[in-house]
Amino acid sequence: MVSAQVTIVNRLGMHARAAVIFVRESTLFECEIWLEKGKKRVNGKSIMGILTLAAAKGETLTIEADGPGEDRAIEVLVGIVARGFNENE
Amino acid sequence: MISISVRYFYEHNREDLRLEVLAGENGMDRVIRIARIQKPGLALAGYLDQLHRERVQVLGQSEISYLSTLDPDVAYQRVSDLCSAGVACLLVAKGLEVPEILINQSVKHNAPLLRSPEISSTLIRRVTTYLEDVLAPETSVHGCLVDVFGVGILFLGKSGIGKSECALGLVERGHRLVGDDVVVIKRKAPDILFATGADLIKYHMEIRGLGIINIKDLYGVSSIRQNKKIELVVELVEWQQGEEIDRLGLDEHNYSILGVDIPYLKIPVRPARDLSLIIEVAARNHLLKRMGYNAAQEFDERLFDKMTGKGWRNEKPDLESVE
Repeated sequence: MVSAQVTIVNRLGMHARAAVIFVRESTLFECEIWLEKGKKRVNGKSIMGILTLAAAKGETLTIEADGPGEDRAIEVLVGIVARGFNENE
Repeated sequence: MISISVRYFYEHNREDLRLEVLAGENGMDRVIRIARIQKPGLALAGYLDQLHRERVQVLGQSEISYLSTLDPDVAYQRVSDLCSAGVACLLVAKGLEVPEILINQSVKHNAPLLRSPEISSTLIRRVTTYLEDVLAPETSVHGCLVDVFGVGILFLGKSGIGKSECALGLVERGHRLVGDDVVVIKRKAPDILFATGADLIKYHMEIRGLGIINIKDLYGVSSIRQNKKIELVVELVEWQQGEEIDRLGLDEHNYSILGVDIPYLKIPVRPARDLSLIIEVAARNHLLKRMGYNAAQEFDERLFDKMTGKGWRNEKPDLESVE
């Protein structure tokens, strides 16, 4: 199990389109992915789950991966959030 | 361990219980950890050993009038002891006139002093009900919850296995959705689990190929419900050759959530298998079992009787009398 913290940088936060971009990548990995914000913990492969976090700009998330390919998964997913979901603002 | 501050308690009940803060505002950050309230009658009589700090202290007519029977010096000492003991808060019932000494001491020791016009019995019941709810152990799981024939079924399984599609199929058949994707579960004393959907996405569902849909708008208000007791856990798994799957239903399995064991079924998924039909049957079967009738066991017994030469048993259990 590996985990990493990442801060939301894009202006709109983790909105529906951003969640789709995240999930599109997370579902490519075989390992389990979890996202945590404060006390809330949701499945990182579920769009609706991620949306319940309502993670806004400046908030910090913990991404956790457990299983085959976990290291690579964390690297990729942290990258996506840190790049602001590739949104051009 | 879960706790709330007195301020939180006050703000969430201010209107319902018509609460007012009489004194001790500085102590509003004190914590309430135990749902049961306490009546500090014995503490006012001088016995402080069993005074619990983390409980709300409710003062009714008997406590307030008892104070007036005491010698002023004794009353001063007792009230001072109560207020300085660090109790979460003092709550006066029935809108009673609060003796000045009590107000002075709660100011001095920063012990929040609240008052409600409700009579003691009602106040105690309502405060306890509220606290039991907010202080209940809570968790959230990735899954969905549907009320099928009155049986609360929690669906678990990997992302993409078809939990939402299964729930949608059940809604289409007239059953009621409680929550999809994120299910918040609370344990109510001592072995009951209550579940609701997550606030933000309530009654919304994500169906691959369709996107986000709103079940309440599509199917109407009778297709949803706010909360439901969990009675059955169904895990959807991929259909795999060689995997251990129950073919008889003779053994009962449980799934533990927050320390409560709930009957558990593992159901393999495969294209063209009508999942919602199977789940409906599972719910019917669960209802039968709850009434004391287990089809698999009954069948096994009949088979056993036949083999031991007793012949087929004709009698069937009288379901109505069992209920």
